[in-house]
Amino acid sequence: MAEATAPKPSSSVKLVLLGEAAVGKSSLVLRFVNNDFQENKEPTIGAAFLTQKCNLPTRTIKFEIWDTAGQERFASLAPMYYRNAQSALVVYDLTKPTSLIKAKHWVAELQRQASPGIVIALVGNKLDLTNESSGSGNALGDDSETDAAEGENDDGDARKVSTAEAKSYAEEEGLLFFETSAKNGTNVTEVFTAIANAIPETSLKGARGPGATQSSANRTEDQSRVNLTGPRDSASKEGCAC
Amino acid sequence: MESLSETRWHAVIQGTGLQHSLLALALSRSDKKILHVDQNEYYGAADAAFSLQEVDGWVEKVKGDSDEAPFRNAALWKADADDSTDSQQLSFSRAYTLTLSPQIIYTKSKLLALLVSSKVYRQLEFQAVGNWWLYNEADEEPLKRMPNGREDIFQDKSIDNRAKRSLMKFLKFVVDYENQTEVWEAHGDSSLQEFLSSQFQLPPRLQTVIAALTLSFDSPDKIAVRWALPRIARHLTSMGIFGPGFGAVLPKWGGGAEIAQVACRAGAVGGGVYVLGTAVENSHAIEPTEEEIPEEKFSLSLSNGETVRTRHYVSAEDTTAADGIVVSKVIAVVSSPLPSIFASSTEGSPLAAVSVVVFPPNSFSQEGVSPTHPVYIMVHSSETGECPVGQCVLYASTQYTKNSKVVLETTISKFLETSKDNVKLLYSVYYEQQKVPGTSPLDLAFDDQILDNVEEQWKTVLGYGDAEEHPPFMQFADREGMNADDDNDDEY
Repeated sequence: MAEATAPKPSSSVKLVLLGEAAVGKSSLVLRFVNNDFQENKEPTIGAAFLTQKCNLPTRTIKFEIWDTAGQERFASLAPMYYRNAQSALVVYDLTKPTSLIKAKHWVAELQRQASPGIVIALVGNKLDLTNESSGSGNALGDDSETDAAEGENDDGDARKVSTAEAKSYAEEEGLLFFETSAKNGTNVTEVFTAIANAIPETSLKGARGPGATQSSANRTEDQSRVNLTGPRDSASKEGCAC
Repeated sequence: MESLSETRWHAVIQGTGLQHSLLALALSRSDKKILHVDQNEYYGAADAAFSLQEVDGWVEKVKGDSDEAPFRNAALWKADADDSTDSQQLSFSRAYTLTLSPQIIYTKSKLLALLVSSKVYRQLEFQAVGNWWLYNEADEEPLKRMPNGREDIFQDKSIDNRAKRSLMKFLKFVVDYENQTEVWEAHGDSSLQEFLSSQFQLPPRLQTVIAALTLSFDSPDKIAVRWALPRIARHLTSMGIFGPGFGAVLPKWGGGAEIAQVACRAGAVGGGVYVLGTAVENSHAIEPTEEEIPEEKFSLSLSNGETVRTRHYVSAEDTTAADGIVVSKVIAVVSSPLPSIFASSTEGSPLAAVSVVVFPPNSFSQEGVSPTHPVYIMVHSSETGECPVGQCVLYASTQYTKNSKVVLETTISKFLETSKDNVKLLYSVYYEQQKVPGTSPLDLAFDDQILDNVEEQWKTVLGYGDAEEHPPFMQFADREGMNADDDNDDEY
């Protein structure tokens, strides 16, 4: 089925964005998708679906990003977003400890309810409100960990969640971990690239979610897929739904 | 965000079943304030899809003579775990997506056109409903593939030439039945069986084949010609529209349940507010006062204690007025991929992910158990994402009778006997479902009437009169951020 002309295989990856209100979920996506930042952004209402491509050396990943649209209070969008999602970005605000508690709830919920094998990244946002120039992240290698939670507040450092605390939690739970600034762009692309790299090959190509993860390699995927916008073969075009 | 009570809602929709979710989709570009609530903690209402663990909870709720209309008498059975290989055992809870909404969608259905024009089809993956089988215990090979087209009929040695000519004559007529009222109008209320026999001289065997295409829960001597002809025509004219060898599709990951979720997601993207686990407990009209004639006509008390005001209220389907039709259903998981059931007989056709097996009335008899009504088994392969590789999910249904539970169980074991493999039943859920006015969840194929209902509700909510100019129903441009040129991304 592979096209000889196709430069790189391309697959869609569903990503759900979770976290307390006002931690900067939409800003992270806006930075990633448009390389843009809005100060004092209004809470998200609607239009919470965006796509962005991520080019890896061997393949292209198209992220379908689902934002919870400012409705965190009802926790009712998440269940339909994380259904069959291959990845999740759980965001907290590193100046607000309660937002990490909420993030941990989301991680537990994902582990209980989402597709087995979902790639989860824990992201501490608003790094620009700390004194550090660059953030920490496990994909960046071994930044020396400075426990910045204490003693630096008089320098205008608003950090309230230490890197060490969040990182050790992420390691325990097997999560990717980054500290980012949607405002400065620090680590934002890195988060998405790390997620793209962590998606197992077997869960790509339309095979997403439970049941498909262990599909045998010698079987061509998508043999039963039907394309609604044009018949596969030369069957008559008149009946086409478009 | 403002609280629910402070917001002046344009419409409140209760229930996230397929019809109301499609309404949310239709309203998703209206820029109106829409609140969509569901009393359950999950989406889909009577069209939901569940993991095994969620089935456990659901069965608890709808077992016995519960008031959880439209469902009742649910009962669960699981095989004991043993040392056999993985596919021979039930896997973990989330490896399954068992759907209450396995209706097939004929390729001619307007639903597919609307999912395309509203752009949400990109979030769905459609799979072919490919093979149709007919069971008759008396035959040497009890399970026989139903002819897929003229070529199959010509090659079928079990049909004699006279019967072939009769069948061809009927098929030619039925795809054009709307223009040939003189042939059938006078017989409109007669039974299909009598009509096929008297007007087309079809032998009983072929009458059974034709009747199977209607997916009726009644036996062929009870099906009215007027009702049957459009359904037979729908089946025949749907063949080949999206590719050879199939005439119906089903969305991966749970059929109608998946469409309901995708439609609600579109509603949320459009700004709709979603609140699960919350019911509208009562509604009353807001009376105009001397000072004010309010724009909001309804005041609704929600089960979370809040009271909201809205111009329009689209309530849950009225589950109390069920009209007596009841269907018995079984969802079963079996320990084989059943390859022969899905093998393609048409060159170039996609691999079927769903096959339909029809057991006509009296097609078997075992220890006094024999189906009095047709029994249908929709066999879903693991390609549907509903079960692990190496297993299949069977959705069996028949009209409710005193014996229907035993009939369904016997039918499933008869079906499994036709496989050369040693197929084990791993899991089964029995339940009964009543027909609910305003929806037709009991139909085995998606009923386009639902779309007419949605369009009516859409017009009411947006105040479009019949004569007025209004935007076309569910025709949306791509949203910003969604690139139309990404259409072909998934081809490789």
